Amino acid sequence: MGMEKVICEAAAVNSAIETIADAIIKDFCSDDKIEEFALAGLFKQGVPLSHRIAKIIEKKCNIKVPVAALDISMYRDDFGLRSALPLINETVIPFDMDMTNLILVDDVLSTGRTIRAALDAVTDYGRPNLIKLAVLVDRGNVEYPIRADYAGMNLQVDADKKIKVEFTENDGIDRISEIKWKK
Amino acid sequence: MDFKWTRKDLLSLYDLSREEIECILDTAQEFKKVSERKVKKVPALRGKTVVNFFVEPSTRTRISFELAEQRLSADIINVAADVSSLKKGETLLDTVKNIEALQVDLVVLRHSATGAQDFIAKHLKCGVINAGDGAHSHPTQALLDIFTMRERFGSLEGLNVTIVGDILHSRVARSDLWGLTKLGANVTLAGPATLVPEEFNCIPNVRVCHNMKDALEGADVVNMLRIQHERQTSGFFPSTNEYSKYFGLNSGTVKYLRKDAMVMHPGPINRDVEIASEIADGPQSVILQQVTNGLAVRMAVLFLVAECVK
Repeated sequence: MGMEKVICEAAAVNSAIETIADAIIKDFCSDDKIEEFALAGLFKQGVPLSHRIAKIIEKKCNIKVPVAALDISMYRDDFGLRSALPLINETVIPFDMDMTNLILVDDVLSTGRTIRAALDAVTDYGRPNLIKLAVLVDRGNVEYPIRADYAGMNLQVDADKKIKVEFTENDGIDRISEIKWKK
Repeated sequence: MDFKWTRKDLLSLYDLSREEIECILDTAQEFKKVSERKVKKVPALRGKTVVNFFVEPSTRTRISFELAEQRLSADIINVAADVSSLKKGETLLDTVKNIEALQVDLVVLRHSATGAQDFIAKHLKCGVINAGDGAHSHPTQALLDIFTMRERFGSLEGLNVTIVGDILHSRVARSDLWGLTKLGANVTLAGPATLVPEEFNCIPNVRVCHNMKDALEGADVVNMLRIQHERQTSGFFPSTNEYSKYFGLNSGTVKYLRKDAMVMHPGPINRDVEIASEIADGPQSVILQQVTNGLAVRMAVLFLVAECVK
């Protein structure tokens, strides 16, 4: 992949994560009332991101934020269209999905298809009170009526480009770059 | 891990690499959880059609496959040999080609002839899963056995697994053998000399023995195979009673087995022939866990294979 252009490095990535955390705090942890909520990170990059967001909120508000990891491979609508099957990761939900305020967390909101699949998955596990969506990058070319409630940054990207997010936990570095997307 | 599953058929564990077997087991672990949820169904195979074609009769394997397909949201057709056109003299290939012409995505086939699945897989664009062929192979049974062992012991590396019974005619034993040795287990095949050919000694990490003391001492797992009724009268051993006494798992032989060893049986059980009732129902037995795990393993296999059918 020679056509890689770095968009931002660690400092900007972390400040974008902080932006998300602050917006969630504003909605759920006001001074007079703290509403319970939980995060659910989508594999692969939503998982480290959800833990980062939870850590910031826990530190700032002195509360415990439950975090789930969700693999939605069984719910994709492009079954049979992909060249190869990704390995299924372990779904871990350490809380009851019923009646929670749930915030889905993923690295990039692109077509919205992953989120559609995630909504199907979540409703099979329970019936949350409220579901919101947090993404690090909203690249704004959704194909479904799905939008992000919390976005770390908005980027205008050509349709033939792909946003690649890297996190220290998975890739050894915090970085967002733009790559040429061969379809 | 960069491993990708690429097969449209599952025919025998003999063909699979260690990575491919581990991929199925890892995938099955997640599918096992689907059956433990309130909503026991995922849309993974929505819009796909699966034909369960059981030319040789089966209940548990067929039910397990059928339920696995339903939990993956596939559409299902069940065909049994006695009601199919095979009875009117149609060849197997013609029958399955007709099935494929209905835009079917997967065929799960059980057949009494060794190699039937390999043969039709070569001629079909749709995926083929072997649900047992003759005395050759029964890959999903071996996968569920291995899954159950891995669940308990974590790894199969260096694990001592003893398989007792009619090895000569057993597709379960053959499938277990390939799967287990690929994952690093040591396999002991035990039973009367008429039913356990010495040739198996030539396979690395496999040994043959003909007495239960030797077979059970040091075993982490013992898998007791069913003695089929037709073998009981065909001269492979003097009598069912004698077989049961010397090669059954009973109060006389179980003393050689460690208390923490795992007892398996692929079912259906001949109670008090190859295994005493109190052992089959006892604390060392995982026979019903095997059934539960069979569902998860079959879901994983269907999921992986269906993805590769173009």
